[in-house]
Amino acid sequence: MKRMLKNDAFWFLSLSVLIILVVYGFNAGKGVIVAKTVYDTFFEVLDIIVAVSIFIGLFQVWVKPQTIVKLLGKGSGLKGFVLVCTFPILMGGSLFTVFPLLKALREKGARIGAIASFITAWGGKAPLLPLESKFLGWPFALVRIGFVIIFAFVMGFLMDWVGENTEKIKQEKSFLVDL
Amino acid sequence: MRAGYLYLLIAVMLLGLSFLKDKQKTREAVKATFKIFYVVLPVLVFVFVLMGLIQAYVSREFIVSILGQKSGLLGIFYAEIIGSIALFLPPAVFPFGGYLHDNGASYGAIAGFVFTAILIGVTTLPLELKLFGKRFTLARNLLTFGLTFFIAILMEGVLP
Repeated sequence: MKRMLKNDAFWFLSLSVLIILVVYGFNAGKGVIVAKTVYDTFFEVLDIIVAVSIFIGLFQVWVKPQTIVKLLGKGSGLKGFVLVCTFPILMGGSLFTVFPLLKALREKGARIGAIASFITAWGGKAPLLPLESKFLGWPFALVRIGFVIIFAFVMGFLMDWVGENTEKIKQEKSFLVDL
Repeated sequence: MRAGYLYLLIAVMLLGLSFLKDKQKTREAVKATFKIFYVVLPVLVFVFVLMGLIQAYVSREFIVSILGQKSGLLGIFYAEIIGSIALFLPPAVFPFGGYLHDNGASYGAIAGFVFTAILIGVTTLPLELKLFGKRFTLARNLLTFGLTFFIAILMEGVLP
């Protein structure tokens, strides 16, 4: 795993350098434009990226996946639904880290609507607010996060409707089964 | 003062608080922070190169013509297609979106891009298929694409 990540980092960086060199080789002026964009943007966001990495790191340690599963399992019905549409907004990480956690939730009896709501709400990405507001402004960032909640609600209803047409999940009465 | 310094200050204060409460956990958090930074930074640099390429080769008029306000619904649709196939990590989505906006893309198109880039991913499809099955994956991704379209229209209407 570590090795793969190492290679990923190496791969992205060397590809970046290669592209800049190739562009520079064809047209020095354009190469300088590309390099300058990279340089300017890099130093524009470096402090924010460091801060955001710390936020996510702290969140990961203090809010363990098990805690999340427990928290979401506690409230069934409407309370669970509201939680599942809002709480994941606070989480960091990529879909690669979220999917396995949701698989565990599913195996414990969560309905597919809850899973879909969770994924959508996770797209709110509150830990990245410093980045989002920097590049797109606070109005965009806040309006988007507001819409994420609505998005997650609608998504949950629609996915449950899709699920009911195929799967036999009628025995699950609560939105998220108590754990 | 740069907003970034304020965030750094808050982050360091939180780290300090965490350290006072639990040293071991804070060590883990610092390790996780380095790992995140290490994974995210190279991808960001690569996205900045893409932005540079657009800066050098794509005219503002072109971006305005496909993603600008006048492009309307079709612009949102294009932006969603770009977002769906973009291989970005979430932290890279916002700089790229902001860059497109500075170059004439509408808020609606940016919303379409941001949502699909975060929630739909060609790279995560195999894992989603494996863990949740064909029907779930297909339905979730299609619904996400469709609902994003409506939300993008609403956001375009709400934001100036």
